[in-house]
Amino acid sequence: MADKKKRKGSKKEDDPEKIEVVFFKSDSCAFCPRAEEVIRETIEDFGSDVFTLKIVNVSENPEAAEEFGIFALPTVMIGGVSVTGIPEPDLLMKMVLGAKVLTKKKDGSK
Amino acid sequence: MSDHIIERVKTGIPGLDELIEGGFPKGDTILVAGKAGTGKSILATQFIYKGATEYDEPGVFVTLEEPPHLIKRNMIRFGMDLEKLEKEKKISIVDLSPSKEVTPVTIGEYPSFDLSGLEAIILNHVKKLKAKRVVLDTLSIMAYKFKSRDILREEFFKLTANITRAGCTLLLTSEIPAHHQGLGVFDIEAFLASGVIVLYNEKISDTSRSRSIEVLKLRGSKHSSRIHSMRITEEGIRVWPGEISPGV
Repeated sequence: MADKKKRKGSKKEDDPEKIEVVFFKSDSCAFCPRAEEVIRETIEDFGSDVFTLKIVNVSENPEAAEEFGIFALPTVMIGGVSVTGIPEPDLLMKMVLGAKVLTKKKDGSK
Repeated sequence: MSDHIIERVKTGIPGLDELIEGGFPKGDTILVAGKAGTGKSILATQFIYKGATEYDEPGVFVTLEEPPHLIKRNMIRFGMDLEKLEKEKKISIVDLSPSKEVTPVTIGEYPSFDLSGLEAIILNHVKKLKAKRVVLDTLSIMAYKFKSRDILREEFFKLTANITRAGCTLLLTSEIPAHHQGLGVFDIEAFLASGVIVLYNEKISDTSRSRSIEVLKLRGSKHSSRIHSMRITEEGIRVWPGEISPGV
């Protein structure tokens, strides 16, 4: 469960402003490389201080996929919502912005 | 002649093995189809339970619908203590039910995905347990989880092939929607499996229903072509091989 540790670790590093983008892929998934490209290109527009990208290779870490109930790949998860298949940049943008709003709300309520 | 003998996996369900030459052909995919409330999940659980307790065959039960705590609660009524078997590492219950709290909400699906995640999850448990039996309960839920049916159909073939290639006998359950003529929502369920068992719970009068079971196909086996009486007893499903159902 290396990824789990990483997740916990990233919270401790403590950057509430940063949005966590989790990308689930596998060794045998033909659509995953293209999906990863799209995700990287899209979120790079926001700048690396806005997000952290976690890549979970389900072939190596099936427990992480089981934990989140992810069985179709590629899947990208941002702030409690996910998209399966090669995502369209527009939808990814909306997910990132939605997560950003949520993060701000949480900060404001503290 | 010995080359032609097919190794059998006993279901352990009283009366059923007698209808199918002693058990399912080892390494095959078997579909158990039926409308809601016909006993599919009980039969599937018995297959896993009996494998672990009577035939030294560890099993993986993948639940896509009912959460594990409810399965355990419901099955203990039939004397199947799944919790104990899980602790003894004789079975694994893999929770992929929609009730998982951490599962993200899917807001988009593009027709460019595969089920390699599900495959990795299942094969991980098969490997850890050295499992010989796998149950996927129920295939039908995938129709509600994903829109891209064509992809799912193709992926099911890959998934079933890779699970059986790992040395497991695979049992899939499929819910037949009310007023539906086929064997499930995908209309390919029968092609996925080399064996098909259909469960019925038909109304035979204004006040009663009759349970029955039919072995629709089982490749490589001389199986009964009749519809037999079946009951859900305190010990789970029991089939009466000599009794022909009056209900269907």
